[in-house]
Amino acid sequence: MSEFPLSLRNISKSFAGKVAVEDVSFDVQPGEIIGFLGPNGAGKTTTIRMALGLIKPDSGLVELFGAAPSPHSFGRLAFLPEERGLYKKQTARESIAHMARLNGMKAKEAFPLADRLLDKYGLGDAKRKKNKDMSKGMAQKVQLLSAIAHDPEFYVLDEPFSGLDPVNQQVLENMVREIADRGRTIIFSTHVMEHAERLCDRIILMSRGRKVFDGSTDEALAQAPRRLVISSEDGRLKETVTAFAENMEVREDGSISVVLKRDADNHAILEKCVNSKIKLKRFEPKAASLHEAFVALVGRDEAEKMQEGVV
Amino acid sequence: MIPQLNLRRVYLIARRDFLGYIKTWGFWISFLMPFVLFTVAFFAARLDINVDPVRYEAILDETGQHEMAIRDYDQAQRPELPIELPQGQMPANKNIYVSPPADNIDALKNYLTGQNKFEVDGKAVKLSALLHIYEGPSGVKADYWADNINNQRLKNVSNRYFRKIAEGKYLGAAGLSSDGLSEARAAAIKVNVFDPGKSGEGGQAVTFIDRIPNLVSVAATMLLWLTIFSGAYMLLTSMLEEKLNKLLEMMLSTTRLSEIMIGKLIGVAALTITAMLPYIVLMLAGAVFFLASPVGAAVLQAITPKLIFFFILFLALGYLFYGALFIAMGSLAESMQDAQTLTTPIMLVLSACVMVIPLSLNSPDSPLLTFATWFPLSAPFAAIARLHLDPPWWELLLSASFLFLMSLLVIWIAGRIFRYGILSGAGVKGVSDWFKRAVLRRKA
Repeated sequence: MSEFPLSLRNISKSFAGKVAVEDVSFDVQPGEIIGFLGPNGAGKTTTIRMALGLIKPDSGLVELFGAAPSPHSFGRLAFLPEERGLYKKQTARESIAHMARLNGMKAKEAFPLADRLLDKYGLGDAKRKKNKDMSKGMAQKVQLLSAIAHDPEFYVLDEPFSGLDPVNQQVLENMVREIADRGRTIIFSTHVMEHAERLCDRIILMSRGRKVFDGSTDEALAQAPRRLVISSEDGRLKETVTAFAENMEVREDGSISVVLKRDADNHAILEKCVNSKIKLKRFEPKAASLHEAFVALVGRDEAEKMQEGVV
Repeated sequence: MIPQLNLRRVYLIARRDFLGYIKTWGFWISFLMPFVLFTVAFFAARLDINVDPVRYEAILDETGQHEMAIRDYDQAQRPELPIELPQGQMPANKNIYVSPPADNIDALKNYLTGQNKFEVDGKAVKLSALLHIYEGPSGVKADYWADNINNQRLKNVSNRYFRKIAEGKYLGAAGLSSDGLSEARAAAIKVNVFDPGKSGEGGQAVTFIDRIPNLVSVAATMLLWLTIFSGAYMLLTSMLEEKLNKLLEMMLSTTRLSEIMIGKLIGVAALTITAMLPYIVLMLAGAVFFLASPVGAAVLQAITPKLIFFFILFLALGYLFYGALFIAMGSLAESMQDAQTLTTPIMLVLSACVMVIPLSLNSPDSPLLTFATWFPLSAPFAAIARLHLDPPWWELLLSASFLFLMSLLVIWIAGRIFRYGILSGAGVKGVSDWFKRAVLRRKA
């Protein structure tokens, strides 16, 4: 394998006879922003733990920067685990500087850096505040800053948005964009598809321990059924579009919501309506969402688990 | 087996653990408390500060036979006690005899309750205790009255006096006297203690000074036990704090497991030594202060290079052994209650190890003590407790080597438990599961 930040080949892991991850493979290439999606219990965290060498796969191969996970990658990656915490009696700047120093930074660089980061992300007043005295949102920001302060090549963020209020989610999105603009590689897990849709070049979808999709956001959206809302006072409309429809539903306002067949084309429908002299009141192709793509990929039950964030 | 370590990361982990405790008020209060108590006790002794109030005691003797005799008897036992309060001076003693301020018991009760007061050196005071001696229907009676029933000094003195009177009457009936009995007791044959192995200026007779090395070994064992116990317990709480703070996973992406473990061991060891410093300093100061006395000289003589060497060696090994065990337990626990449950068996063993101390005093050649020297859990304590017997170096070094090997094994097992412990929630159930997965590397 080449020296990608991360390469997984056919990794599997079971706990107490229960399969957590099964035959998962993918590469993370330099500069990519990857959304690692799936409902809780899909195997995201276990895959991340195996990728970082925190636990060993039962089978398969893991490579971090071209070698098995080992201390050679220390300082080259940032990891924010799903379960967060800080030393309660440390101050915010001490927490950030401590992790930066563990990642190889000198004290005289680490403390000014901590101060700069805290100022930049609105925690300037909390520099010398003890972690135990901070709000949950502030503490989460401090932990995130602790994880990424040393600005490594590769960022692994497990559910970074969970627990943050909408304002701080936006701050984090901006932070991810800034990191990406510096050419860093990022993989983050989430069950909130909007974040992935807005931020990612590529999406990997996990369901029940297996990888069910790996591709660009556009490719993911292409998996979703295309929809069209169409209406007319002409009674022939329904019969005309039937040939193109996978499914149709007449809505309360009389318009028809059409789920198009895979090979159907909006232009062809429009052309047929014009040729049939059906006067259309509404012709509205609907953009597919990632959620719809995931329903198509993993089924409604799994997709809804992801939407709700429940196990 | 020997892990590669980045010493800088080990230092940073150790430093954080050390400073995490050092920066708390609780630590500094505990650290300074021995000095504060010592200073207070020292100045109290120097200034002759009497923390108890002066108590004024009276004897109302309606028989007219015992009052002065009791006071004389009391003074004979405490020659420094003045019979009467010197005019114009504050009393140096806490218990001062005064003449009863009234001549009947009912009136005197008001002086005991403070309702009435009498003057001593121009100051109005209340009566603290009263012994009332009177003729009853069946002979002489004595009643003790006091405002504080817990202070029974005068009652006890009087009881001893009356016993002596009764004893004198009994002996006198046979033509004997109490003084004669005391002389006879003083002239009784005393059993002298000798040690055939002893040589030196004092011959082979054994004195208290000869027991000093024994007592120094006991003190060293106690100090060792206390240090290991407090160090291991601090490791447990430190480990648990990190486990509950969910920090370890993040740290493991940047630090080796062995670096975290060793950093913690070093950090808490430094902390434990720092916490023990006041006691060590005060003990040494005490020994130097009393150097001129035979006891002080004997104490310093008993602190041999051999004792110091093996104390440090067994302290390090015992701390490693127990510290690794407690780290492992801390990594498995999800709460303080869990930690207490998990460590109860080790705590019981650790507490049982204190038993080697009386054993070393009473039966130093006991096979149980010899076994304890080789049993890893008790080896550090038994080895130090036996040091006053001057066991051969090879025996102690062999015991230390065995403990070292066992410590490596425990660290290895603890490391495996630690790794699985900190990543808990990964579907492992029960202790047997942990053992299979963490130690035997089997799938549960």
